[in-house]
Amino acid sequence: MQARWHIHWTMERALAVGAFALGALAMAGQPVRGHVVTIDTQELATLVESNVDHVLPADLADSIIRGASDYRLIDLRDEAAFAKYHIPTAENVPIAQLTDSSLARNEKIILYSDGGIHAAQAWMLLRAQGYKGVTTLVGGLDGWKDNVVFPIVPTTLTPAQASEFARALQVAQFFGGHGRTATAAGEAASLTIAAPAAPKVQVSGPAAGKGGPVAKKKKKEGC
Amino acid sequence: MNAPFFKFGAFGDETSLLVAFVIGIGFGWFLERAGFGSAKKLVSQFYLNDLAVFKVMFTAIVTAMLGIFYLGWLGVLDLNLLYLSDTNLWPQIVGGLVLGVGFVVGGYCPGTSMVAIATGKIDALFFVGGVMFGVLAIGEAFPLVRGFYESGNLGRLTLPDVFHLSYGGVVFLVTLMALAGFAGAGWVERRFGGAAKEV
Amino acid sequence: MSTIVAPVIPARAAEARAGDRVHAVARVPAEYMNPYLAGIGLGLVLLSAYVVMGRGLGASGALSSLVAWSVNVVAPSHAQANEFYRGYLTSGVGHPLKEWLVFEVLGVMVGGFLSGHLAGRTRRMIERGPNVSVRARFGYAFVGGALMGIGAKLARGCTSGQALSGGAVLNAGSWAFMLMVFAGAYAMAWAVRRQWR
Repeated sequence: MQARWHIHWTMERALAVGAFALGALAMAGQPVRGHVVTIDTQELATLVESNVDHVLPADLADSIIRGASDYRLIDLRDEAAFAKYHIPTAENVPIAQLTDSSLARNEKIILYSDGGIHAAQAWMLLRAQGYKGVTTLVGGLDGWKDNVVFPIVPTTLTPAQASEFARALQVAQFFGGHGRTATAAGEAASLTIAAPAAPKVQVSGPAAGKGGPVAKKKKKEGC
Repeated sequence: MNAPFFKFGAFGDETSLLVAFVIGIGFGWFLERAGFGSAKKLVSQFYLNDLAVFKVMFTAIVTAMLGIFYLGWLGVLDLNLLYLSDTNLWPQIVGGLVLGVGFVVGGYCPGTSMVAIATGKIDALFFVGGVMFGVLAIGEAFPLVRGFYESGNLGRLTLPDVFHLSYGGVVFLVTLMALAGFAGAGWVERRFGGAAKEV
Repeated sequence: MSTIVAPVIPARAAEARAGDRVHAVARVPAEYMNPYLAGIGLGLVLLSAYVVMGRGLGASGALSSLVAWSVNVVAPSHAQANEFYRGYLTSGVGHPLKEWLVFEVLGVMVGGFLSGHLAGRTRRMIERGPNVSVRARFGYAFVGGALMGIGAKLARGCTSGQALSGGAVLNAGSWAFMLMVFAGAYAMAWAVRRQWR
């Protein structure tokens, strides 16, 4: 009994000494807070070339209308621009705050800015940190207006074309825009959008009334 | 940096449920190994006979805390992605007191009651029934309780923030405190009665 | 001539009453594991949860999901109008019961059973002190459970979730909570000593 008691105590003592050592060493520590990353440049270059990270405005429009919630749309511009107009269901995360945001690495993320430069740069930043599902909206907000909100519709339509453009016009109306005839490139950017996109048409859409993100299912991680 | 694996997209939601099950097995295993499937053993903590609850809990906390710290230091674990619940000071203080009372009256806490049920304790069934009743009561009374429930929200607050110390400094102090506590626990047990080694 | 051989019955098995099942694996229950070793084991499990999932353990949340789901089955409109239940109903992988904690708790039961079974500690019984009746014990258990449920919901967790998991990541609220749990339990212990001593 005495011998066993002695061994028992020694083990606990060893554990205590080990714990103390680890605790003391901790004082010298500087846990990395996730801002310094290593990049596989070849992998990124290959991805860029393959265009897998692109999302077309028309596809995004469809997702919004369908009420899909499997993506997060991120507006990289500043708050003022966001308040003025933003694509429905978008969340405003200025590019400097991207690293600390609540984006999860296994989510599908669609980035957009005015044109595409900031979105592309943000894509690179997030990709480097291991966000595998990050994509960019082709053409950014300009492309959105050009293709979805103010689509170009030919002045004369054949019956075959009519139905195709009818849908495009419905979608445009859904987002507060209208069709336009082919005019000088870049005109769409100057057209103002009637109202923050409110569902007017019978295209079954989500209740994306005022701006701000659609209430997404928040993951419960509590206990 | 590729951990926590789930948040880096290593697997999806469905698989995470399987992960939950496996982790739960480990959890239940060690709880029972420590003897926490027994209300009498659990409660002896509060009669100063057997401080296993204190020893197990704080050893576990220190172990995980050191592990998290060092994995963070090595750059393997992204500490930013670890779940940290908000601090809601008043409900947590009151809830803690109520929970403590419930612990010594009921004899279990939710996790250990599951282990107890799995090892055949009938009283644990009544305990779990009680827990569900308590949750139901809060649920039904939620509109009334809401104000209090959300009071004292200090956001995500950690001990380093509160004491204006470095993360590593707090880790050291917590470890020190735990070790001192273990030494004290040994003394208390010798003074107030033997630890119940057998079932 | 047949001889009746009386089997040697270890003392513990003699306490068993009709209906109790004494498992064949170990007649005499094994000693508990050293608490520090068990604590390290538990700590490693907790660490693995953080490393693999980025979250800690829990238990009360699973029961809350169960309650919310049950209320929804019985009175769907009422449940969905209630913000507390709604939180649990909209969580989970397509179904409130396909929740991380629900599966974790199922695992806890399996792990607990395995450990208990292998150690010969699995036995249908009622944990109580020598001076309290079975019915009183059941009453205490229920009341204690109800207090636990209320406390756990107010504090957003119980000892597994808030204390252990929050404690490991140095969550200030969790530590405050933990302190209060011990305080409350110690304060109340003397009053209910009849149940245990």
